Amino acid sequence: MRSKLALMLIGRKLGIKSSPAAKRRILFNILLISVVVAALVFAQLFVVSMSRGIANKYALLGNGHLQVHEKAGTPIPDLKQIVDVQLVAQTYSLLYSPSKNLMVRLKGVERSYFNSQRLGELTFLDTPLDTKGSSLPQILLSKSIASKLEVGQGDKVALMMISNNSLRPQLCIVGNLYDSGYKELDENLIFCDFSLMDKLFSSKADTYYELLVADNEADEVRSILEREGLSVTSWEEENYAVASNLETSRQAVLGVMIVVAILCGYFISELSRELIEDDKRRIALLKLLGSGNSLIRGVYFSTVMLVTLTSIVLGTASGILLGLNLGSMLSFLAAKSIPALAFYLLDFQVMVPFLDIAIILFVLILVSSLSVLWSLRRVRNIPLLSSTRFD
Amino acid sequence: MTKSNKILSLKGVSKSFPATARGGEPIDILDSIDLELHTATSIAITGKSGSGKSTLLQISAGLLSSEKGEVLFDGRRLDTLSDTQLSRIRSTSMGFIFQSSLLLDDFTALENVAVPAMIMGIGEKPAREKALHLLESVGLSDRLGHKSDQLSGGERQRVAIARALVNEPLILFADEPTGSLDERNAALIEDMLFALVAEKQVALMLITHNAPFASRCDEVYRLHNRKVEVIR
Repeated sequence: MRSKLALMLIGRKLGIKSSPAAKRRILFNILLISVVVAALVFAQLFVVSMSRGIANKYALLGNGHLQVHEKAGTPIPDLKQIVDVQLVAQTYSLLYSPSKNLMVRLKGVERSYFNSQRLGELTFLDTPLDTKGSSLPQILLSKSIASKLEVGQGDKVALMMISNNSLRPQLCIVGNLYDSGYKELDENLIFCDFSLMDKLFSSKADTYYELLVADNEADEVRSILEREGLSVTSWEEENYAVASNLETSRQAVLGVMIVVAILCGYFISELSRELIEDDKRRIALLKLLGSGNSLIRGVYFSTVMLVTLTSIVLGTASGILLGLNLGSMLSFLAAKSIPALAFYLLDFQVMVPFLDIAIILFVLILVSSLSVLWSLRRVRNIPLLSSTRFD
Repeated sequence: MTKSNKILSLKGVSKSFPATARGGEPIDILDSIDLELHTATSIAITGKSGSGKSTLLQISAGLLSSEKGEVLFDGRRLDTLSDTQLSRIRSTSMGFIFQSSLLLDDFTALENVAVPAMIMGIGEKPAREKALHLLESVGLSDRLGHKSDQLSGGERQRVAIARALVNEPLILFADEPTGSLDERNAALIEDMLFALVAEKQVALMLITHNAPFASRCDEVYRLHNRKVEVIR
């Protein structure tokens, strides 16, 4: 029975009942392909998770998933997809310390703004300052801004305000420092009480509602709100350059991964070429004994694809496991404050991009199948006399 | 099989090897060879080294094509058959024994003999049973599970004989089957080969330098100056 014979031949090629050298060789190839697949999966997981982490920072701390640009008091429909609604005021201002100054984005928020979801995206570096007896309003600076202004908790800074077409400074006290983990966002974002914004900037501040919505529900919520006649924007529109860069980066990295997968697929065909080259005598002998080319091609195709699929399973599992354990390594790197990593987000939740991984693996399997089939054409050209000339 | 029991017929077969890319003259090997082989008969082809004995065997078995003439195997012209048809004929109707036993290294003796039967489409169990029977008949019942490198030269050649006969071929092509064996083992293989050929009623085309071995065949030919001469 030819299928049983094919299984016997595949088993021997894969090292079952075979010599230790043959086993080592197959294991080496499995290891090599697994390492490449693990690296591809890990890299994609890292990039997608980091992109999503950055997007989350912008959505949760910067602008909310959706913004409703309506006057304070405008009723927001009570939809189950809306997780949180906050009235926010924001403006840009110069912030002075005794030695430096900086243009900042000042957000006035209610105390309830820092809910558990937002608190998950930042770390307070100190306990809140007790300012009983002080009439100065408190502001919340990022660690990055504090460092640039050379100030710390309890220090005084001055906000330059435009009031009745004139400029005047407002002294504030640094109530606490936060760190979102993403320097790009932290570089200019500071928080204060909504009431302070209202008092200091009144009509100069832009007042709007920030909405947090459940995962992947933003488009639906937006269309409902717009049907209600509300003016709505998304965080991507508010941060167009950031959002489009993240998407472009993700696609570019996926493209690079696909190219690497194609090269890896080509390498796999080299494995089949190598096996055939080594087995010329065996193939010639099988042909001499009456075996057709299709049986031999089937044996070598199955052998190489079994090696490939085993490697893919091992590599994917390793890449995902490595990725899921990335958190502790990232925390370690973040704690080290390595300058080269300053502009990278090192504090994000790892997610497995199954679709991206499936695309990469599909390309790898497709390219390796085609290139292996292509390389197996040479089976036809192996002369039967190779065996008789062996001596 | 045709009514005349003619298994193999060569008519006006000529073969030359072309000049190499580096130059040189084409080499004429065979010139208008006519030969016939009938069922249950044996012929020996002798001749000096380089006289074209192996080339004649390979053309007869369809392993090599000729420039002129035709080779009829069991009434079918081999040069008109596709690769698949030739594979099928090799599988069902031809057995090969070479100077080197050419076994599959990582297969046991039993598996090596069973492989051609499995290629022909016989199930694993009956193929192993046939292989077992043949290995017993060549005196290797105690070597069934041994691989090629665990067998002596004579034992490997006996496995090769069993393998050549497992599909009950019409013809056996043997190219110097005792060429690499010592005298004692060579004699054993010769006896075994002729006994099995007689028992299985198989036609035999034997290529050999060895005159006494050749003389045990029904007909003996000598290749000389690209022509076949009848010795006996």
